[in-house]
Amino acid sequence: MLDLFAYIVMVPMVYLAFILFVAGMVWKLVRVFRSPSITGTLGLFPRELPRPLAVARDAFLVPSAFRKDRVFWVFIVAFHAAVLFLILGHCELVWNIPALQVIPHRVFLGAGSVGMVMMIGTLYFLFRRFGAPVREISVPEDYFLLIILFLSILFGSILHLVDRLGIGAMHVPVQAYREYFAGLLTLNPRLPVMVSYSPHYAVMVIHIFFSNLFIMLFPFSKMIHAVFAFFAYSTARR
Amino acid sequence: MNREKIGTITDLMKSRLTKPMQYYLDLCTRCGLCYDSCHVYYGIPKREYTPVGRAETLRRIFRKYFRPSGRFFPYWGEARELDDRAMEEVREAAFSCTGCRRCMVNCPFGIDTGYLMTMAKLMLIGNETAPEELVILADSAVEKGKSIGEFKEGFKSVVGDLEKIVQEKLGRSSPDGLIPMDNGGASVLYAGLAGAHSIVNPAVIFNAAGESWSLSFFEAVNFGAFLGDPEKMQFIANRIVKEAIQLGVKELVITECGTAYRIQRHMLGTLPFKVSSIVEVIDRYLREGRIKVKAGAISEPVTYHDPCQLGRNGGVFEEPRRIIGELCTDFREMTPNREHNWCCGGGGGLVALDNEKFRVQSGLVKRDQISATGAKLVVTACENCVSQLDTIKSGYGMDVEVKYLTELVADNLLL
Repeated sequence: MLDLFAYIVMVPMVYLAFILFVAGMVWKLVRVFRSPSITGTLGLFPRELPRPLAVARDAFLVPSAFRKDRVFWVFIVAFHAAVLFLILGHCELVWNIPALQVIPHRVFLGAGSVGMVMMIGTLYFLFRRFGAPVREISVPEDYFLLIILFLSILFGSILHLVDRLGIGAMHVPVQAYREYFAGLLTLNPRLPVMVSYSPHYAVMVIHIFFSNLFIMLFPFSKMIHAVFAFFAYSTARR
Repeated sequence: MNREKIGTITDLMKSRLTKPMQYYLDLCTRCGLCYDSCHVYYGIPKREYTPVGRAETLRRIFRKYFRPSGRFFPYWGEARELDDRAMEEVREAAFSCTGCRRCMVNCPFGIDTGYLMTMAKLMLIGNETAPEELVILADSAVEKGKSIGEFKEGFKSVVGDLEKIVQEKLGRSSPDGLIPMDNGGASVLYAGLAGAHSIVNPAVIFNAAGESWSLSFFEAVNFGAFLGDPEKMQFIANRIVKEAIQLGVKELVITECGTAYRIQRHMLGTLPFKVSSIVEVIDRYLREGRIKVKAGAISEPVTYHDPCQLGRNGGVFEEPRRIIGELCTDFREMTPNREHNWCCGGGGGLVALDNEKFRVQSGLVKRDQISATGAKLVVTACENCVSQLDTIKSGYGMDVEVKYLTELVADNLLL
């Protein structure tokens, strides 16, 4: 029974999450692009920088948050920078990317710090919502997304740190992950023995379960800000 | 609320689903950074007067009818059904927002809550609970546009009286032609307001500069925009555009009305003539030496209130400061200023409504800002701002004078 649950999470649910993510994103984008444009501009003044630079500044330096709340700003920037490392790190679990080995490192990037930063960040974002005034504007979606994100990162970090620190001689070779992902990518899914018989397996299943859930909800929740924010920046700097 | 009414309102919501509306409705993370960036919240610290509070009032209804999450799992984003109470909240959200867009500057994504409120305002029209005053004002503006022939003669005779005032101010021998109308071949078409000051002072300045100009038959103010009716907004804006094209002018100059300037300059797309604010024109005349003012004529402390639609939403920041700099010896900036300036609370048609107590309360931050400068004279370049600043002044018993920039210039011209 547990094996079946594990298999569902590790294979069909991953496909489902992928399909929902792609279809959802396409649907969201198509809907925006098919909506009528506005005449004129909703841009703000002054226009000190050329539009692409202003958009880049707004997106990467988040000046509005810097002005209003420095602590929040530090968490925003650290968290989102960690997201970039997280994506790169996972790419290395899927493919061998020699370019990333310019600085030789053991997969995963960041030696566990990425997960730590994201966990602390997620908890900060969550606890912020427990106090006024943010509590007054929070809805169940806000808490739910942060909780599943935290759980996903927590189990992902356990997976990585236990392996890196050699606790209990737990180890899943990178090659086993690549075999698992290669199976998924070539529509020939398989669970390598080094994965499914690893003492890590339960932790991995839980990690992937919460990640799947998060990815499925991504296009249909406020997580869409990852894409739409750039449209809004672009509108504000037009 | 019956199904038919709900259908009417949701159809109107659908009609406003432009590209920006689509992403503004979906992308807020409710981070709360905008929370205290609204002047109304400063004066009345309630959730419904925060930008996110206003936007969520709209978004919760929107999710219910337009998003699967709202339809199937309403608790997920606290989606809510349309009913009379919800529409009351929509009205409170829409008509407590001046559309100043200060929150847009403070949103990490730059969400335009003012723009979101245009959908809320349209819903109120569908629900027949839009403010009566604005409905009447917008309708009469449209009516005037449709039958201008009937209004022309009456308007010309009023303007004849104003020409005598202009003559007196300029010290000319005859009032004839000091306020030209229907002046084919003019370079400039000037769109004023109903108040005499919005015609007399610019007329003095245009004549002093030797400008070839013509006064528009239409008021620049756009009650269609204040009401939130996109068709009426377009009609009211386009009647001036048509007049400008008919006369073949090179430049349309908008009076001290922030909303009119923003709409004509930034919301109509490319036009076959230039659109300027009277403030930009005065600054240009001064720099070109076409008019001269009594330098340093005003020695009492002066501050300038950036009208939101002229400043952060229109891009006119430095011109008024240069003009005041020539006239005044003790200019004091408010803090914050320019794109971060606090709204006075008069925009979005709010000064036209019966809401004086609310506007005094929401003007608290402006009172504090002005008081902190120690200025005795507050200069601004927007009709709504002047009315609201006067309300704040009397509401808090402030010892200041509020003046239009054009008035300041016209009174201190070297002729």
